[in-house]
Amino acid sequence: MLVIVVENVPPRLRGRLAVWLIEIRAGVYVGDLSVKVRDVIWSQIEQGIEDGNAVMAWTTNTESGFDFKTLGKNRRLPVELDGLKLVSFYPVEDDEN
Amino acid sequence: MKERVSMVFVEKGQIDVKDGAFVVIDETGVRTHIPVGSIACIMLEPGTRVSHHAVALAARAGTLLVWVGEAGVRLYAAGQPGGARSDRLLYQAKLALDDAARLKVVRKMYEIRFGEKPPERRSVEQLRGIEGARVRKLYQLLAKQAGIEWKGRNYDQTQWDNSDAANRCISAATACLYGISEAAVLAAGYAPAIGFIHTGKPLSFVYDIADLFKFDDIIPHAFKVAAKNYPNPEREVRLMCRDIFRQTKILKKIIPTIEEVLSAGEIELPKPFEEAIAPAIPNTENIGDVGHRS
Repeated sequence: MLVIVVENVPPRLRGRLAVWLIEIRAGVYVGDLSVKVRDVIWSQIEQGIEDGNAVMAWTTNTESGFDFKTLGKNRRLPVELDGLKLVSFYPVEDDEN
Repeated sequence: MKERVSMVFVEKGQIDVKDGAFVVIDETGVRTHIPVGSIACIMLEPGTRVSHHAVALAARAGTLLVWVGEAGVRLYAAGQPGGARSDRLLYQAKLALDDAARLKVVRKMYEIRFGEKPPERRSVEQLRGIEGARVRKLYQLLAKQAGIEWKGRNYDQTQWDNSDAANRCISAATACLYGISEAAVLAAGYAPAIGFIHTGKPLSFVYDIADLFKFDDIIPHAFKVAAKNYPNPEREVRLMCRDIFRQTKILKKIIPTIEEVLSAGEIELPKPFEEAIAPAIPNTENIGDVGHRS
């Protein structure tokens, strides 16, 4: 199982993702692909992401049963707690300062 | 229990509930969500504060909160009250009170640990002696295999900094194992204090159960970690524990092992006595473990 969520990316990349995956909601892509294809897709995202951000999650043999990685700026960033991956949600940066 | 992630250590921050989710908030306002319902136990290290609401949520999700000291040396535990199943408690107490049944349980534990039946016609006390001697030898052997000088197991928590790397790694590893073992004992509806080999401690039964798994992988690997002189050995030990817990699927095995050990006592689960009146408000069905209050 592979899930990719993209935000604020150019339509060209979204079209590219739709080649391999099903877009079940705006920017949410789901599929079941091999590691090799997954890496190809990730490099495509790296090339076409521009100012957007993306996250990719896939089932694997970790304790939580999945792993994920992110690209681009987002308020949610992965953190690692003694081998368990969680997500930290950063507060809104104060624009006045 | 069996589908949960084993444990998560929280070092610093305010633990609270935000929009119904279990979160850790650090001093800069960064929130980290913890999927509390899919974790067996949460180890709270020094520097954490827990709100009332968060404890209530953890209890409802059947997740054990364990307050641990520096490097996971055990201080105190709560979160899951335990004792949700009177039938299991009475069964466990009956096994522990009956000399013949207790001996059978202890013999079964010995058999699981060492992979062979213990010598016949020994008392619990004698078995405990044999076990102690074997464990000391095992420690020596494992230390030798890992190439570490071993001066014996040092439990002195007040002299923590004086103890050697191997002892610290073993303590950190066993703290992880005790955490998930206690979560399993409570989830299965038994009492942590009623032990068979260990007695007189609040977690006697937890030590009994954890001992069944300890020497399979945890302790040998703790020695290996100690031999490598990592700058942060506790973290390495926890990573190792997480890997071992995953590989050995220990969370799937603990509760069935508890049942297996106790059933060796050959006593039936107590039936409700005739004059017992069933609860006026029937218990609701839930998907949690039997020992969880909900």
